[in-house]
Amino acid sequence: MVTAVTKEQNAEAAKAVVENLSSRFSDAGVVAEVIAHTSGKAYEFVRITCSPDQWRGVAKHLKNEVGVNYCAMVTGTHFPEGGADRGWEVAYHMYRWPIVNVAAHTMTVLEGDKLKGDEIPVEFEIFIPLPAGDTPSVPSIQDIWEGADWNEKETWDLVGIDFEGHVNMHRVLNPHDSPASFHPLQRQHKIRYHDFNEMYDDPQGFGRKPVDEGRVK
Amino acid sequence: MSDTGENYTTFNSRALVEVVGDVTDEALKATKIKQLLSVLAGRFFNWAGRKSLFTLHLGIKCCAIEMAAAATPRFDGDRFGVLFRSSPRQSDVLLVNGPISKKFADPIVRLWEQMPEPKYCIAMGECAISGGPYYQSYNILEGVDTLIPVDVYIPGCPPRPETLIDGFGKLREKIIRIGGAPSTGRDGEKPIIVGDD
Amino acid sequence: MAEMWITMGPQHPMTHGLWTLRVKVDGETVTDTEAELGYIHRGVEKICEARDFTQITPYCDRLCYVSAMTWAHSYVMAAEDLLEAEVPERAEYIRLMAAEVQRLASHLMWLGAFGPDIGNLTLMTWCLRDREMFLDLLQELGGSRMHYNYPRIGGVKRDIPIGWGNRLKAKVKLFEHRIKEYEMLLDESTIWLVRLQGVGYATAEDQLNAGVTGPNIRAAGVNTDARWTNPYSVYDQVDWEPAVEKPTSVKGADCYDRYRVRMEEMRQSCRMLLDAIDKIPGGANTHYQPGDEMILTKAPTRAPEGATGFSTYECTRGVSNFYIQGGGDGRGKNPYRLSIRSPMFITIPYVAKTMIGYKIADIPAIMGSFDPCIGETDR
Repeated sequence: MVTAVTKEQNAEAAKAVVENLSSRFSDAGVVAEVIAHTSGKAYEFVRITCSPDQWRGVAKHLKNEVGVNYCAMVTGTHFPEGGADRGWEVAYHMYRWPIVNVAAHTMTVLEGDKLKGDEIPVEFEIFIPLPAGDTPSVPSIQDIWEGADWNEKETWDLVGIDFEGHVNMHRVLNPHDSPASFHPLQRQHKIRYHDFNEMYDDPQGFGRKPVDEGRVK
Repeated sequence: MSDTGENYTTFNSRALVEVVGDVTDEALKATKIKQLLSVLAGRFFNWAGRKSLFTLHLGIKCCAIEMAAAATPRFDGDRFGVLFRSSPRQSDVLLVNGPISKKFADPIVRLWEQMPEPKYCIAMGECAISGGPYYQSYNILEGVDTLIPVDVYIPGCPPRPETLIDGFGKLREKIIRIGGAPSTGRDGEKPIIVGDD
Repeated sequence: MAEMWITMGPQHPMTHGLWTLRVKVDGETVTDTEAELGYIHRGVEKICEARDFTQITPYCDRLCYVSAMTWAHSYVMAAEDLLEAEVPERAEYIRLMAAEVQRLASHLMWLGAFGPDIGNLTLMTWCLRDREMFLDLLQELGGSRMHYNYPRIGGVKRDIPIGWGNRLKAKVKLFEHRIKEYEMLLDESTIWLVRLQGVGYATAEDQLNAGVTGPNIRAAGVNTDARWTNPYSVYDQVDWEPAVEKPTSVKGADCYDRYRVRMEEMRQSCRMLLDAIDKIPGGANTHYQPGDEMILTKAPTRAPEGATGFSTYECTRGVSNFYIQGGGDGRGKNPYRLSIRSPMFITIPYVAKTMIGYKIADIPAIMGSFDPCIGETDR
């Protein structure tokens, strides 16, 4: 029977991480808070909001002091109506997991409810709002976590966010000969047939009302 | 033996083969033997081909899993002569089983061109027919028939393996109707949509 | 000896999907590799910005088509986090059973494709035959052999049919004997052992730093699994253990360890299924109508701007995440941004690096042992 990480452990670990980050970064304006998921088991995670200049410092602290060892995903979003401060946003999702190398012919069996302190898994969500404009840019963390490498390539390819210091940036999903400024997930690019008329948007007529009786599409 | 303006002509074996080939071709055409041979050969290749449709081992997306399932013991496409070949030079049928993206448009046309005649194309699944659920995507073409002439369309998302085997059956009927080599006899034959009867 | 680049191009019987692997070879030894993805990039993230939340579930089935139920479950968990919907316990048990049956089918598909790479064509026929057993079970739930559109936001589409539990138990018990047959075929086969052992070393920390998760890390000796580190559904109430293999060398796990991890995972899935069908609330032989609150709760259909949903899920190939931002068109009926993290997108470039130093003939063994699926890579 597997023993999962309990809610108390999760809350305790999240709180400890937030205290660590706040004591180090709160005067620089980096906000770290504990937020709970809103469904299922409602476990808690750490949400950090910082600016692009502080990001490398926060990232190195997370890797070396807090022990975050897994960079899961990098998401870029375009907010054309977000205002001057939040025209773009990069969201990083990372985890701290107790994974170590083991000697040959041995294995590490971790029991979820017996993990303590730094070994308790914690989930991180880091938001970096970027000012509106045509050249959003964030420092790259490719040298800190290798897992961020292709994630950053994909974010640049699809959304157009520039990662400063990223070595060997190239298109990964779109064809290599796409125009240099073609980043499809930006809001000004529309999908094909995006202005469908009502017949295709509502083919079964669920949105029809009695007043529409006799109306021809 | 082309004259390059020098005072000797070089003996070129490729040119010799060309000249002999042209002369033989003219002779056969004049005696109508060539026409007879091509009709007989066309009928023979047609009979041989419809019993053993070698399909290119190309797996694009989900329908490829159903294509693989059609080769497994439960559905067994092999008893109909359908065998998967790795090289396009050795296959008769290009079974397109997934959406064609802009990056893959060039490779798939090259695969089609590398296949020798007689060759047929089957579009399996919605993505290959019309773009499928991704018809609105910026990267997916609206069907493989924008690039390659398709003989049989197999609708479904994904079509069951039995439908795929039925599609091969309909292709076989079409080959019988064509009768000769498809490059001469395919005009007038409309593409078949499985399930449309 | 001059080195040259060879393209294992998009159409290749070994690559299990549409991607290009360029290898630089010096004689028979691989000295450098380059992976090129994107041949079936469908822009799912962009399309989903114009779809309702329930309309996105079929797209998620088609992300990793071999393991559709787990991807739909992963998306639905993120959507429930965004829309703040609760799921009844019976529905959680049904989702768990569907996901584990799908895990069995997916590992069988992996083995059925991996065997022929090594040369063992018998495995393809055996594994795909056994996979049909589980596909029949999932067809009773979802209606189709491959893309089920079964999980709903707030529960599941319909309840398990009467007798499904008995069929599940019979098939799982039969399959436990079949696993022994596979091991009998493979573990004493010299060719299998020689081709898989000592090939493709990868350590646990190295893999985690590169972003590789799932059975590939468990093969390197650490029993980490998102089902207990970030618990979800009812995995903490059924009887199972993560499948872990002790690596054969300090250099890490080789292909043989990764193969053994998946065989052990199949056994653990069987164990979970037999336990869950006994523990399901309401019993296995009662059938509730679709929409009954035992299996589905009404969920809100709109998400306000600023709401986010995130899910951590142990898919068959690693940890998959969905990140959804609310507030799209239709006053929140569509997501503003849907971002998908696929385990294979990161694993494939990592595996391309692992191959350096081995022979060309080891490439299918290494690539197949990491279990690539390009559908989820190239969303």
